[in-house]
Amino acid sequence: MKKRGKGIACMVYPVGGTSYANPGSAFVKVNQDGTAVVLTGATDVGQGSTTVLAQIAAEELGIDYRAVTMICSDTERTPYDYGSVASRVTYIVGNAVKSAAGQAKRVLLEAAAEVLGVGHEGLETSDGWVRVKGFPERKMRVSEAAKRAIGVNGRPPTGSASFNPVTTLLDPETGHGKPYGSYVFATQVAEVEVDTETGEVRVLRIAAAHDCGKAINPMLAEGQVEGGICMGLGFALMEEMVLEQGRVKNDQFIDYMLPTVLDVPEIKVTIVEEREPTGPFGAKGIGEPSLLPTAPAILNAIYDAAGVRIRELPATPSKILAALKVGLARKDEG
Amino acid sequence: MTGFTVVGKRLPRYDGLLQVTGKATYGVDVSRPGMLHAKILRSPWPHAKVLRVDASAASRMPGVEAVVTAADVPRNRFGFTHLDQPVLADDKVRYRGDAMAAVAASTPDQAEEALQAIAVDYEPLPAVFDPLEAMKPEAPKLYGDSNVATRVTIQLGDLEAGWKEADEILEETFRTQMVEHCHLEPHAALAEVDERGVVTVYSSVQRPFLIASDLSSVLQVPMNRVRVVATAIGGGFGGKNELTMEPVACLLAMKTRKPVKVVYTREEEFQATTVRHPYILTYRSGLKKDGTIVARQVNIISDAGAYVSWGGWTLSKAAIHAAGPYNIPNIKIEGVLVYSNNSVGGAMRGFGVPQVAFAYECHTDTLAAAVGLDPVEFRLKNLLRDGGTMPTGQVLDRVTVIDTMRAAINAVDWKEVAGRP
Repeated sequence: MKKRGKGIACMVYPVGGTSYANPGSAFVKVNQDGTAVVLTGATDVGQGSTTVLAQIAAEELGIDYRAVTMICSDTERTPYDYGSVASRVTYIVGNAVKSAAGQAKRVLLEAAAEVLGVGHEGLETSDGWVRVKGFPERKMRVSEAAKRAIGVNGRPPTGSASFNPVTTLLDPETGHGKPYGSYVFATQVAEVEVDTETGEVRVLRIAAAHDCGKAINPMLAEGQVEGGICMGLGFALMEEMVLEQGRVKNDQFIDYMLPTVLDVPEIKVTIVEEREPTGPFGAKGIGEPSLLPTAPAILNAIYDAAGVRIRELPATPSKILAALKVGLARKDEG
Repeated sequence: MTGFTVVGKRLPRYDGLLQVTGKATYGVDVSRPGMLHAKILRSPWPHAKVLRVDASAASRMPGVEAVVTAADVPRNRFGFTHLDQPVLADDKVRYRGDAMAAVAASTPDQAEEALQAIAVDYEPLPAVFDPLEAMKPEAPKLYGDSNVATRVTIQLGDLEAGWKEADEILEETFRTQMVEHCHLEPHAALAEVDERGVVTVYSSVQRPFLIASDLSSVLQVPMNRVRVVATAIGGGFGGKNELTMEPVACLLAMKTRKPVKVVYTREEEFQATTVRHPYILTYRSGLKKDGTIVARQVNIISDAGAYVSWGGWTLSKAAIHAAGPYNIPNIKIEGVLVYSNNSVGGAMRGFGVPQVAFAYECHTDTLAAAVGLDPVEFRLKNLLRDGGTMPTGQVLDRVTVIDTMRAAINAVDWKEVAGRP
């Protein structure tokens, strides 16, 4: 018999490394034609951090995204970064990039101010133009401002900045302290179908709602959640290294089960954008939290569907069948 | 702040075109004319004394240009909280992934064949594979006189008072398994000594600056003479957060003055790289009749495997979040990290928290059922709100967990289950 059920799971997760300093840094320079180069130690592991950092630089400088060149993760040629870990790059390196771009922009605005006849604080940039606030027709190109800054004022527009979240160490006795600068929250609901004859579980749907602060690139944020759910599904139902006397017996994908496209359910992602005042344009992070609620939501759905509580991952068909048998035996006794 | 022109836009990936046209250079793609290929010999024993390593025959094999053993590593230990892990095993091996020696040869096959010619004498030692067994006084020890690598405790409020206040106390034990990161791209690195004499490593790593400082330490070369460049990376998930083949690639490149490439096989990925720590989690919670959680005790046992690696920090992050996103006034969380002769637990997406989240959210449903509340109603009663406190005493603001719960249940119609009788 096939039985369906729903399960829910919530979570809280921090942005950034625990307690100890985990800074990121960036250098920014603007060329005479209004294009820019960002140098940072931040490393794109496929999650899209280079894209997000380029968007942050472009927004702050007021230039096109495609006008930004990213030079990343070279310990000799880019400034320090702690690493692409702890869901920290958007928040921490994003802040460093925004500050460095802000410094370069200040040089541009000061050059433009001389031409536009207002103080630099009366100017703003977007779409490659410097404009007088409230008088958008009074404008000059970012490229003209850059040429003037370099060629007339002798001040090339550059910036250099770092960011480190405000944290404290934990008291060794009580564990008390402020280990993180910011937190994100999420909930996922899973709907499953349990075959009570075979113990097999099919995940039908997952609805995921994640607060990641302002989503710098919603497509990438959704991609993180979808990927995390696939990983969480594997953790819940199939992945397990089997060791015998310390030797990994299933060291191939033929006998180490990963979810495939056939296992991935319909996924509905909702991004809840609670702006973080200390984040770049209100952004926080999303990389790791994406997978946290998936396994418990699936396990709770299995319980809802079939009445069995599996407490050891992964919830394989044999564990589910064994639990169903115990349940039936209890009913017979009753 | 409104009116963004770039932020909030679904822009194409910065590196997307290179990736979809096959032009992105991943770690496995880095290549140099005349480069050598290196392979690494692994321990056949989970726990043994190393009596002798003799690579003289291997170094005379066809195509072999250099062999390195522990004796070639200037400072043969690394680690983040515990300096316990050797680049190449010296006094002992502590798990089957321990590296014994590395060979650089003209082809990968020649390097692999030469590994078979390295003679190592071992004296097998009793081994331990279960963290509960490993904590017993009579268990074989990996180091010194205890297998307990570290402990963590976090307390909030008064747990004893919490138990007294409770109408009902429920306890459950959960276990999570060992899993691999399974990034599609295996670990891969190419090391070369450039024209300035700078040792340069191109590697698919998530933390190039940590790799550079650790390389500087194990090679005893100043940081301005070691350069790490992260290549395009085919997935990391925390599995590319520490030294793997980079030290031997550098040592072989420094010895031969030729570029040296190392690519792990999938078998090596499973046997010799870090994994997600298996946890044993005991949750005990005190409830009022109305469903309010008044006390929670959590006990976490983490299997470190043979080296601490990120195990201490992982356990700490797990403990900080072990109570879940709930407003519980009286909490005690204790964790212990235990050495065993299993694979080494490291960093993996979620850093200890997926294990505790599985346990606390299954436990939440058990508690809800005990007081006859729907899982959503029970959560609404207990979830953190603005001004809520984490077990660390940190007070949170802009707490959106209830907003996310409303969004998720609205997306699926929580009450309606198709096909449910």
